[in-house]
Amino acid sequence: MPQSDSTSANDLAPAWEPYRPTPEAPWNLLRVVHLHRRAGFGATWPEIQRDLRDGPDAAVTRVLAGTSRLQGLRDDFPHLSDLISNAAVASGVLPRLQAWWIYRMFASPDALAEKLTLTWHNHFATSFLKVQDLDLMRQQNQTLRRLCRAPFGDLLAAVVRDPAMLVWLDGTLNRKGRPNENLGRELMELFTLGVGHYTETDVKEAARCLTGLAAENGIFRELKNEHDPGAKTVLGKSGKWEPKDLLNILVEHPATARRIAWRLCGVLMGESVVGEAALDDLADGLRQHKLDISWAIETILRSRLFFSGPNIGTRILSPAEFVVGAARALELFSPPPSTLELAAWITRLGQDLFQPPNVGGWNGGATWLSTRTIIARANFAAALVEGELNPLAQPLDLWSTARQHDHAADLRQATAFFADALTGGRIPAETLDEIARDAKTSTGPEPLRLAVAMLLARPEAQLA
Amino acid sequence: MLSRRYFLKGSALVAFAPVVPAFIPRMAEAAGADRDGRILVVIQMDGGNDGINTIVPFDDDGYGRNRRSLRIGPRELLKLNTHVGVSFAMQDAYDLYNDGRLAIVQGVGYPNPNRSHFESMAIWHTARPKDTNEEQRGWIGRAFDAAPRPKLAETRADPDAIFVGPEVMPKALVGRRINAVAMSRVEDLTLRLPVAPKNTNAPSQREPSGSAAGAPTPDVAAFVRRRVLEAYGTATALADANKSSAAGSEARYPGGELATRLRLISRLIKSGGGTRVFYASQPGYDTHGAQRLQQDRLLGEFSSALKAFLEDLKSNGLDDRVLVMAFSEFGRRVTENDSAGTDHGTAGPVFIAGGRVKAGLVGPTPDLTDLEDGDLKVSTDFRRIYATLLTEWLNAPANEVLGGDFQPMPLIRGA
Repeated sequence: MPQSDSTSANDLAPAWEPYRPTPEAPWNLLRVVHLHRRAGFGATWPEIQRDLRDGPDAAVTRVLAGTSRLQGLRDDFPHLSDLISNAAVASGVLPRLQAWWIYRMFASPDALAEKLTLTWHNHFATSFLKVQDLDLMRQQNQTLRRLCRAPFGDLLAAVVRDPAMLVWLDGTLNRKGRPNENLGRELMELFTLGVGHYTETDVKEAARCLTGLAAENGIFRELKNEHDPGAKTVLGKSGKWEPKDLLNILVEHPATARRIAWRLCGVLMGESVVGEAALDDLADGLRQHKLDISWAIETILRSRLFFSGPNIGTRILSPAEFVVGAARALELFSPPPSTLELAAWITRLGQDLFQPPNVGGWNGGATWLSTRTIIARANFAAALVEGELNPLAQPLDLWSTARQHDHAADLRQATAFFADALTGGRIPAETLDEIARDAKTSTGPEPLRLAVAMLLARPEAQLA
Repeated sequence: MLSRRYFLKGSALVAFAPVVPAFIPRMAEAAGADRDGRILVVIQMDGGNDGINTIVPFDDDGYGRNRRSLRIGPRELLKLNTHVGVSFAMQDAYDLYNDGRLAIVQGVGYPNPNRSHFESMAIWHTARPKDTNEEQRGWIGRAFDAAPRPKLAETRADPDAIFVGPEVMPKALVGRRINAVAMSRVEDLTLRLPVAPKNTNAPSQREPSGSAAGAPTPDVAAFVRRRVLEAYGTATALADANKSSAAGSEARYPGGELATRLRLISRLIKSGGGTRVFYASQPGYDTHGAQRLQQDRLLGEFSSALKAFLEDLKSNGLDDRVLVMAFSEFGRRVTENDSAGTDHGTAGPVFIAGGRVKAGLVGPTPDLTDLEDGDLKVSTDFRRIYATLLTEWLNAPANEVLGGDFQPMPLIRGA
C-alpha cells in the first residue's frame, strides 16, 4: 500500500489502484525485469530471483528506498563518486563528467535516483556547449539528484537558482529595463505549464519577475538593484512579484501538475498506455500532495496499470538505459566496463549527456531509433561481448556467468538465460532456437558471445 | 512520447495527451513518399580561399600586375568564358560546369568585411554581420526553428542535419529546436557482427495484451521490429552495394579527406533517412605562403570530390534532390605578399552544384582595377544566396531566418 497520508486505495482511480498478482497478471520474471528496467537501469539475476521470491510490495519498496541493488556495490561509493567527479571537473573534459554519471547509473545503490536525475536533466535540459563549465554542470546534476523525489516546487526553485541554468537561459542577462525572455519563456513552456497555457504577455511579465538573478563564480545571487520592482500581472495574478512569487504562481497552476504527471509517465510508462483520464487522476493526486514527486512515483510503481500487459515491453530504451542495462544484466562487475567507453557509446547512440540537442531535451521514444543509432546499438553489443569495453581488453566470459546461475548445459540454455535476464522472457522460443542455431555455426566470435550480441541487437531488446 | 515540436505547430490534438496512438499515424505516414525530400550539402572551405586564383580573371590588367609569381597564364587555364578560367587542377569542376551542373557566384561577401577567420566565419554561419557575437543560432538552425515542417519530418528519428567530421559542430547548425548530430566514420553505418535477425516473420510477444484502463494499444513492438529490421536491411544493402561495386563506387571517389566525407554523406543520403542538411569542412585554404601548390592541391581535391559525389548521386537517381553549396569565409588580397602567398581579403566565389542547378557564372566578375583599400569590392551579399536556398530549396521563411529581405538569385532550375 502506498504510504500516503490522505488517500486510501479506494480513493485512487481504477487506473492507479494497486497491483495485486492475478492469474492474468502474475508476479513473474517478466514483471520483475520490467520493474527494474523502468525504475532503474536493469537488474542482475540474483536481484531478480530475490524479488521474485519476496513479491511485488517488497520489490517496489526496495526500489523506492534505493536498496534494491545487490551486486557491484562498494561501501566507499560516495567517496569514490566524489573522487571521480572532482577529477573529471579538474580535467575540463566533458566525456569524463559523462563517465562519472554513468558510473553512478551503473554502481550507485539508488538506481531510481539516477533514473530520476536523468529525467530531470531532460526536463530542465541544459547544455555544456553553452555553459562551458564542468563544475557548474556537475553542480546542477547534484541539485537534480538531491531533489529528484522532492515536491516539485522545491526542485523548480533550486533549478531557477542554479548557476548553470542561469547561464544557459540568459537569466544573468535579464535585467531591469533590459529584459531577456529566454528563462521566463522556457520556465513556462517547458518546465511548468506547457504550450497553450500562457500568452506572450505572460512571458514578458514573467521575464520582469525574474530580473536580477545572477551567478557569480558559480554562486547564485539576487541583485536587488537589477530587479524590476514594479507590479506585474502573470496568468491573471497581479503583484510586485519577485522570482519566488512567480514560481509559486506557476507551481499552483493546474497545468503544471498535469505536465509533471505527463513527464513521469513518460519515463515509467510505455507509449500510449496512460489514457487521458488516468493522467488527469495522477495530476489531481499530485495537486493534493503538493506536487510531491515521491508520492507520484510510488503511486505509479505500485499500480495495476504499471504491471499490466500493455505496459510491458512498450517503452523504447534510451541509450543510457540500453547500455548501462546491458552491462548490469550481464553482470559485468569484475572488472566493470570502462565508463569512458560506455559514455562514448551512449553518445554515439544519440544521447550526449550534459549536451542535450537543445532546451527541449531529447525527444525520446521513436527518435532514439534512427538507422544510424540502431546500427550503433548493434555495434555496441558487438564491442561489448568482444571485450572492447573491458579495461583488460578481454572478451566476456559469458559461460562463467551462465554456469554460476546453473544455465550452462548448452548454447540454447545459456542463450535463453541471457534472454531472460535482458528482456524478462519477451523473446519467443522460436527466435531463441534460431539465434542458438546461427551462433553455433559462427566462424568468427565465440558462439555464446555472438548469441548475446544477437540478443542485444533484437528489436525486443530495444524495448523494456 | 510525442515530440514537443509536434505541438508547437499548433496541432489540434489535446496538449500532451499520451493516449493519442502516436505510432499508428507515424507508420502510415512513413509509408508514404517524402515530398519534401530536398537535401542541401554545405562544403566549408576553411581558411579563406583565394578566389582570384580560383576563378582567374586572366584578361584583367590588374591580375598580371598584382600576381607576379602567383599568376596563372591563359595557357594554363580551362576557360569558362573570354574573361575567366580555372586552373587545370579544377578539371573535374570544369567538367561539371560544362555539363550544366555547376554555378559559380562571383564576388560574394558582405558589407564591412571582417578579416578575422573566426569572426568572418561566424558571420557566414549566423548571417548576422552586425550582431554576430550576440547571435547564438546559425542560419540553418534558424531555418529549422522557423520552417513549417511536414509531419513526417517532425516524428522522424533521423537528425535534421548531420555534420560530418571530427571538428566542433559549426554554429550554422545551432538552433533552439534543430536536432543536429556529428558523425565521422563510415563504420557508423556498418554492422560489425552478423547480428541481424534473418527471420523477419518472428511471432509477436508471448504475453497476450491485457486490458489497460480503456487506452488503445498501438503496437510499439511491431513498430520497433519494423524499424530495426529496416535499419539492418539498409546496413546490409549498403555493405553489399559497396562490395559489389568495389572497383566501381569505391574507386570512383578520389583520395583525400573531403572525398571520404562526401562519400559518407552519399551513403547517408542513400540510406533513405530524413536528414535534410549535411555539412562538411575542407581545411587548409589559409595560404599566406607558397600558395600555388597548396591551393592547386586543395582545389583539385575539392573538384574531384565534388564530381565523384555528384556522379555517385546521379547513378543512384538522387542528383535532382541534392544541392551543394561551397563557400569560404573570405577571399584574399589582390596583391600577393613576399612569400608567394596572399593575405586575408574580402570577396570570393561561391559554388552551387547539383542536378537542378542553373549552371553558369553568376554576378559580375570582380574588377581588379577597381578596388577598395586594395581589396576586391563585394558585388553579391552572401545572404542572397542563403535566401535563394532557403526559399527555393529548403522551403523555409528566408526573411525570418536572415532578419531581412534579400533578393533570391537565379541559381535553381524550375524553382
